[in-house]
Amino acid sequence: MKPDFYFVRGLILGCFMVVACLPFSAVAMVESCSTADCHADLNDIEFSHMPVADGDCTACHEQVTEQHPAQTGSSFQLVEAGAKLCYQCHDKYGRKLTVHAPVAEGDCLSCHDPHGSNQGPKLLPTDHDLTALCSNCHDSAMFTEAFGHGPAVAGACTQCHNPHEANQLGLLAKAPQQLCTGCHADIAEGLANAPIIHTAVKDSSCTACHNPHSAPAAKLLSQEIEAVCMECHGDVGRKAKKAKVKHAALYRPEKCSTCHAAHFSQHAALLAQPEQDVCLSCHGQDDYSRSKPLKNIAKDIAGKSHLHGPLQDGQCSACHDPHGSDNTRMLTGPYPASFYHPYTTGCYDFCLQCHDKNLLRFEQTTIYTDFRNGKQNLHYLHVANKYKGRSCRACHEPHAANLEKLMSEEGADFGDWKIPTRFVKTATGGSCSPGCHQTFEYDRENPVDYQK
Amino acid sequence: MPVIVLLFFALFMVSGCAAPPAMKTKEAVFFPSAPTPPRIQFLTGIGDSRDVEGSEAELSLFSVNAVQKEELKTFSKPYGITASGTKLYVSDTISGKVAVIDLRLKSFTWLKGDFGPGKLKKPINLTTGPEGNLYVADTGRKQVVAYDVEGNFQRAYGPGYDMKPVDVAADDRRVYALDMSRHKILVFNKQNGELVEGLGQDADNPLERLYLATNMELTRQGLLYVANAGSGSIIKLDRDGNTLGSFGKMGDGFGQFGRPRGVAGDSKKRFYVVDAAHQNVQLFNEEDRLLMFFGDPGLPVGSLNVPAGIAVTDEDLDFYQQFAAPGFDLEQVILVVNQVGRYKVNIYGLGKMQGIDYEAYYRESLERMRKADPEQLKKR
Repeated sequence: MKPDFYFVRGLILGCFMVVACLPFSAVAMVESCSTADCHADLNDIEFSHMPVADGDCTACHEQVTEQHPAQTGSSFQLVEAGAKLCYQCHDKYGRKLTVHAPVAEGDCLSCHDPHGSNQGPKLLPTDHDLTALCSNCHDSAMFTEAFGHGPAVAGACTQCHNPHEANQLGLLAKAPQQLCTGCHADIAEGLANAPIIHTAVKDSSCTACHNPHSAPAAKLLSQEIEAVCMECHGDVGRKAKKAKVKHAALYRPEKCSTCHAAHFSQHAALLAQPEQDVCLSCHGQDDYSRSKPLKNIAKDIAGKSHLHGPLQDGQCSACHDPHGSDNTRMLTGPYPASFYHPYTTGCYDFCLQCHDKNLLRFEQTTIYTDFRNGKQNLHYLHVANKYKGRSCRACHEPHAANLEKLMSEEGADFGDWKIPTRFVKTATGGSCSPGCHQTFEYDRENPVDYQK
Repeated sequence: MPVIVLLFFALFMVSGCAAPPAMKTKEAVFFPSAPTPPRIQFLTGIGDSRDVEGSEAELSLFSVNAVQKEELKTFSKPYGITASGTKLYVSDTISGKVAVIDLRLKSFTWLKGDFGPGKLKKPINLTTGPEGNLYVADTGRKQVVAYDVEGNFQRAYGPGYDMKPVDVAADDRRVYALDMSRHKILVFNKQNGELVEGLGQDADNPLERLYLATNMELTRQGLLYVANAGSGSIIKLDRDGNTLGSFGKMGDGFGQFGRPRGVAGDSKKRFYVVDAAHQNVQLFNEEDRLLMFFGDPGLPVGSLNVPAGIAVTDEDLDFYQQFAAPGFDLEQVILVVNQVGRYKVNIYGLGKMQGIDYEAYYRESLERMRKADPEQLKKR
């Protein structure tokens, strides 16, 4: 036990002596390296490298000649070359997926001043704006587009990039979407909760549409919004361009975002609201802004007992193509623009894509319509009349009505007049007293003899 | 010793006379043949009542008649077939009978009401109505004869009209008799039997008017498909007689017909046409495009032999599944009548083999076709 006791006591005493002598030796070094005459600038550095502050010059430098200053050449040299010198104290870089080129080359001094900086911490020649430092190597053109990203404009490059190494491409500190939603928390919340996510967001990174530093278009879009969307949705663009009847909404400044959300939505097709609400946001109000105003469809629908099938499901796009079409009123199929248009194969295909395609085909039928007198097809009689075939609008409302089969109560627009139908339904037929002809009845079971 | 020889001879004769049992082929017969993924399998066949009732009697060495449950019932020259629930009805033209077969119950009987006022003379085709009643087109009686679900005679349609009804269809209001002598479909009021109208001669295109029409099907979509032997095509009519189109023409190419016979639709809007000249069945989709064909001559089993009527059903698939090869899942059962040969009814199953990605195979095939013929790329 005794020998151990003396050994420990001696060791503690020895350590105390060494520690007690250290300040005196450092001070002695500073006094000797950085005096009023020699290396005086090192005393005035605001943010000094720790060894400099401690006066521990030999942590990095070692004297290689007996005399200092030497008569010729340098009397001191670095104890290690390049990054090896730094790695004596600092953790070593270079193990991650991407390594900043100066780090890989061991050229720490391309960014850092080894003794310290008067501008900011981390031995960098700047307080917070890294623009100048990074632009020494990186092309500054990417920061100079019309719309700048906040961190890039402020020179807060390290907000997104790790300056030494990272496991993401571009030295990004996190995966791209994580990185962006780290600040853009509203997007993060939406992406987490919305049922519909834009494929570009889901399967690509934010940079599929946005420039991260600066961009020529608002919202940091890499191109004008329409061009960005057409990168993937080119078919829609081509169709819209070729369409004979164009949708004005596509040509508003908001372009695609007039109707669609960019990142996520609660509604199909990334619509910003339920489909019908999106449409009625323009087509649901009285329009006094033009000579040929938009029709107020909301007024047409309100309070009506019978809605057209697609509208019952809140769908406008079943009948109208929102990106434009070759058919009147952007309908999804052929339908005559005029009041009179005799039926020929194909010209009423818009209506017949849902309604029986043989509705107007045969003069006699017991199958395709209940609007018949015995077998006489009264739809055929009205529409297929080759001299004066009436289009569907002569009797039916397109959106809503208070009568079954969307029979028009008020009547169709006919110049200055609205032609009423005065349709009355019976169990086996009905009657009309329209503005077009005298009262006529029809009966499927016991046909009316019109010759009498 | 001579006694023993005679005994063996007798044994040989008895076993030799016994018809083979209802066939479960050892090697499954598929259409199309490998390496194309299989879509139709020949499941089994019915030759006579033994194939239905079981084979207890067949190997009886000592007393055939004693062991047989009932008298052996055979077909002479069957033509039409229809399926309703678990029942199959098969018309036999020469014997003037209709067989009522229930495979699940192993029962083979002759139609109960086939006597007195319900006596059949030459039944050609037959069908069941929505209510389950049986309607038989009888060219001997020149009438359509109706029986209830139990097989009891109900009434006849067409007395006095001197028609030659070769096929029949029925909906909830009307009975449609395909009259070969008038080349028309005569429509009768189902309730009172009165003639309502005659359909099939109003088409603008003469080739779409009925001529020597032999078979007819009222599809689940309410359309009448008629096998028109005169033009070698299938003519589609609505129930008002309006012609909605036609497909096929006389010939021996794909989608063409030599002697079109039985026609049938299935629940997936596919359409089947039997051809007695080609001795096969061709399948079409709802756009009248040929999908495939099966039953061509030359196979040990599974070939058709002067085929006539056809019925397609997706009822009772569980029962028929036992005849299918392992892993081949049935979607439809196709019953085709042979007028001659061992099996008078060939039973096929339309289905898919588990583990085969049919869609991928068809996509690849289409791609290969496109590469081989770039013009196809433009067309499709």
